Amino acid sequence: MSLLKPFSKLPGLNSANILLVESKEEFQQSLADALVQETAFTVNVRLAKSLPLPIENEESRPRIDLVVFIIDLTSELSFQSTEASLKCLDPGYFLGKVCFMVINARNAAAPIERLDAVRKLAASLHCPLLFTEGQTPDGVANATERLLTILKVAAGFVPMATALYLSNLTRSTVSPDIDQPSFD
Amino acid sequence: MDPCDDVGSRHHAVEAGALSSGPPDGSTGQKDVQPADMLRIKQQMSNQCFEMAVQLQSGKSKRSCSTSEAGRELSEYVNELDRVKTIHFNSTLTLHRMQMWHAIGEKLKQNDSEALALKAENDRCMNLCSQIKQLQQESRVFQDEITEIQKKRLEMKRLTHEKMKEMDELTSKAGHPDTEKYKAVLERGQANLEKYKKMTVMTQNVLRGILLACKVNWMDDPKLRDIAMTLEECSISD
Repeated sequence: MSLLKPFSKLPGLNSANILLVESKEEFQQSLADALVQETAFTVNVRLAKSLPLPIENEESRPRIDLVVFIIDLTSELSFQSTEASLKCLDPGYFLGKVCFMVINARNAAAPIERLDAVRKLAASLHCPLLFTEGQTPDGVANATERLLTILKVAAGFVPMATALYLSNLTRSTVSPDIDQPSFD
Repeated sequence: MDPCDDVGSRHHAVEAGALSSGPPDGSTGQKDVQPADMLRIKQQMSNQCFEMAVQLQSGKSKRSCSTSEAGRELSEYVNELDRVKTIHFNSTLTLHRMQMWHAIGEKLKQNDSEALALKAENDRCMNLCSQIKQLQQESRVFQDEITEIQKKRLEMKRLTHEKMKEMDELTSKAGHPDTEKYKAVLERGQANLEKYKKMTVMTQNVLRGILLACKVNWMDDPKLRDIAMTLEECSISD
């Protein structure tokens, strides 16, 4: 099984590579368009439906600095696909180079158990969990800004900060009473 | 460990690569790269090398400990890291400040046109600073006055409140004993009234009975008729 390794290739000069993994492939397109607008450095966005990535591109693919899993809370398939993809990622990525992004969290069709499950997943892997709203341009711009902040650190553009350091500051935690029924 | 060897070799390659890097890939039309850009790229590469070095080092020294212990140690290390970073930042700031003052001093010693401009700027800064100090003094005085006035107002409020309380007490006390006696008297009066009412009703009933029993024709006699009419008006209580 081919794992995606963080340090198996050379880093790119003045560029950052981000991989967006989404099983539905809706939000990642608009997010990618917004991400490449960044001018301070070159942002290369790679899109994928799930991991493992096809072997054909193995040689030409650059080193991935940040892997973002986009989970749509209204579909169970999205969550399961993410869980399966996580197994194809080298453990070295989880030290600050993985981020979870949740969309449609405000939708009434999203069950609360899935949100709790996503929270627990992010907390157990010590990764940041971001919530965004993907339908309006404002929401996309907001998500882009936050992702760029994390990407800059992961690609080494922020002096005195590494991805591991940032992950200690931004990792999501679950409160101990997450298993209690919530009062709605 | 396989990934570690990978990382190690890449580490050296990156060092070599960073030293001999040309213009960045993104700028195709730009021939001369700004030194700031070069510094930035160098900073980025050194950051990456640091990360890989950390990865290598973590691979070398491995010891087993429980998760909770690791969590505690982690928070300690992060605090330590924050502390050291703050110290480093402050020291760098101080160093830069010293360097700048040294440079300004050297420039002023040279005594050319730029130095004159510097001196003029310096005088302007001094004037502004003394103005600032004066204004701060004035504002402090005003602030003190405001505090004094607020204190007085609070005092006034307190006194007013006290006076109002006293007034309330007096009015309630003055009315209170009268109302008590008044209540008792009222109750007694009402009891008496009830008693006399009952007596009246009973006498009226008796009179009516007598009239009926005597079989007197009260309709023709006006005096008897008046009495009989008033008998009907009596209230039938209990």
